[in-house]
Amino acid sequence: MKTVEKAKLDGFLGQLAQKYSVLVPVDYNGLTQFAPYSQVQEGVSKLYLDGNVTVSPKTVYLPQSEAMYKFRAQGKKLAIEEMPAMDKQQVVFGVRHCDTKAIQCLDKVFLDEKFEDPQYKDKRDNTIVFSLACNNPKATCFCESMGVDRAHAEASVADVQVYDFGDTYGFVAISDKGKACLDAVSGLGEAADKLPEQKPQSNKFDPSGLPAKLAGMFEDPIWDEYSFKCLNCGTCTYVCPTCHCFDINNKIRGEVGMKMRTWDSCMFGEYTLMAGGHQPRVGKKERVRNRFLHKLQYFNEKHDMFLCIGCGRCVAKCPVNLDITKFAKQVIG
Amino acid sequence: MSNIQNEMRAVAKELLESGKATVVLGWEKGTMPYDSTPVMIRSAADVDKLIWDEYCLQNLSTYLIDFINTEDKVAIFAKGCDTRAYNRLVHDRRINPKNSIVIGVPCSGMKNPKVAAKTPEGAEVPMANACKECRYPNPVACDQKIGSDVTPWCTAKDFSDVEAIEAMDADAKAAFWKEQYSKCIRCYACRNICPACNCTNCIFDQSASGWCSKDVNASENQFYGVTRAFHVAGRCIECGQCEAVCPSDIPIMLMNKKFIKDIDTLFGNYEAGLVTEGTTPLNSYQVADPEEFM
Repeated sequence: MKTVEKAKLDGFLGQLAQKYSVLVPVDYNGLTQFAPYSQVQEGVSKLYLDGNVTVSPKTVYLPQSEAMYKFRAQGKKLAIEEMPAMDKQQVVFGVRHCDTKAIQCLDKVFLDEKFEDPQYKDKRDNTIVFSLACNNPKATCFCESMGVDRAHAEASVADVQVYDFGDTYGFVAISDKGKACLDAVSGLGEAADKLPEQKPQSNKFDPSGLPAKLAGMFEDPIWDEYSFKCLNCGTCTYVCPTCHCFDINNKIRGEVGMKMRTWDSCMFGEYTLMAGGHQPRVGKKERVRNRFLHKLQYFNEKHDMFLCIGCGRCVAKCPVNLDITKFAKQVIG
Repeated sequence: MSNIQNEMRAVAKELLESGKATVVLGWEKGTMPYDSTPVMIRSAADVDKLIWDEYCLQNLSTYLIDFINTEDKVAIFAKGCDTRAYNRLVHDRRINPKNSIVIGVPCSGMKNPKVAAKTPEGAEVPMANACKECRYPNPVACDQKIGSDVTPWCTAKDFSDVEAIEAMDADAKAAFWKEQYSKCIRCYACRNICPACNCTNCIFDQSASGWCSKDVNASENQFYGVTRAFHVAGRCIECGQCEAVCPSDIPIMLMNKKFIKDIDTLFGNYEAGLVTEGTTPLNSYQVADPEEFM
């Protein structure tokens, strides 16, 4: 494997930034998220590699707000202006294994065989992912239970495997894109391939029976028990790396406008609100049930994988600690 | 603490067994040692779930809104701030005092779970920000009380943080708030946990109106933050829950405290959530009120 000393990481990222747009996990005034490396260079944000970020790297492929196209009234006609495709490849450094698995989930939705989302695909095709293995999982982490390989990042998403050896980072190319990326950097060390020591994860359960069991639980009283304390805020859905619902809006000022795609949350009152005013998911119970079943049953029935990858963000960030692992364990029994 | 916990369980058991209450809302232990989370108890057999520790931060009064049209008789445990929230909700006619029983619990201040999450286990964790400035640790109104009253550790409001912002020039203020609200992900956790944010229809749930789009950027986010601050002005009971639940660490209370300071300056000292009837500074007027700005 190739290596770089942690003290020289700035030089490594700086070299990459000369050829690619580079995104890194940062701490921006208390909010951890992925942002351009230039923010770190300019001192606006601090590089944050000690834990996983609050706002997941789904923002790289599905930004919270994204212009789809612009339009302008010209007499009685409408001129459409397409949004430009990416003109440069980008490197995303430090994506955790759980989050590479999450991008695999998003691929099932946005790179569906019947419809490929062009804006998502453009970003997927032009992004090189450096995936960092976690050595110290948090108490809220449960990725192993959800099928994440802590030693190897999801190969359909990650291009370079990164390991943390304390003083150095080790890099192993997974894809040709990743190899080309490493070849473009000078001054890297060499070391024999090995794995870092990884501390065990404490929150463990076997979710394999959940889809079948939940299929018969739509009217179970468990939903009242769990949903009562939900605030119906969007925190869980917005910090979730696999929640991908969006809304399409117009932003119009005078004769010019823009079609926007913005994140939406199944916790909100406008979600599933129909034109005639009917709301099939009236309250907490219906909304919490929908979210949990989407994660643990529906997605599995359609794509043979869970829509939860065990990053634990919702467990850690939910204002009322509505814990999906507690729920899953209770259903498993 | 454990004496209060035992009393809580005994009171809950008695209320449920006697039928005086059909539901008891309290706190149970959550995922992490610093998570104490709301629990709904309907059976006397479950009262041992109830806990009382230094992380019972969350106000339970707002849950009474969910019971306004039910037959349930709901008992809640309430700290000083929670009773102010309760009063606020009664004042706003959003909860029914006739179907609720408030069991007051004097509070010595809760710890800051956000700091605890970043602190090694066993290390000292500071008090939650709002608790540091709390002037009402004892219930201001309740149907029954457990534990003994504590001596408030603050007697006057501390506006030093607000004054630091006021001392900035206009550009610096604008830059400060732009930076803070560029972090907002519009999850609305601050709104949904707030006892003063209790509208049945919120302006921010009407994106088609064009008032505020779903486009998340510093400008729209600030419009959200400022509008909410205006709307809770004179009604904020300073529980600090908005700031405590913000996943982006935006200093939301700073803006709420600015309004509290202005109200005190313009209309005389005012404490929200102490009464359930009568007029408040921003929802009353006198014909002789000055209108210099008109």
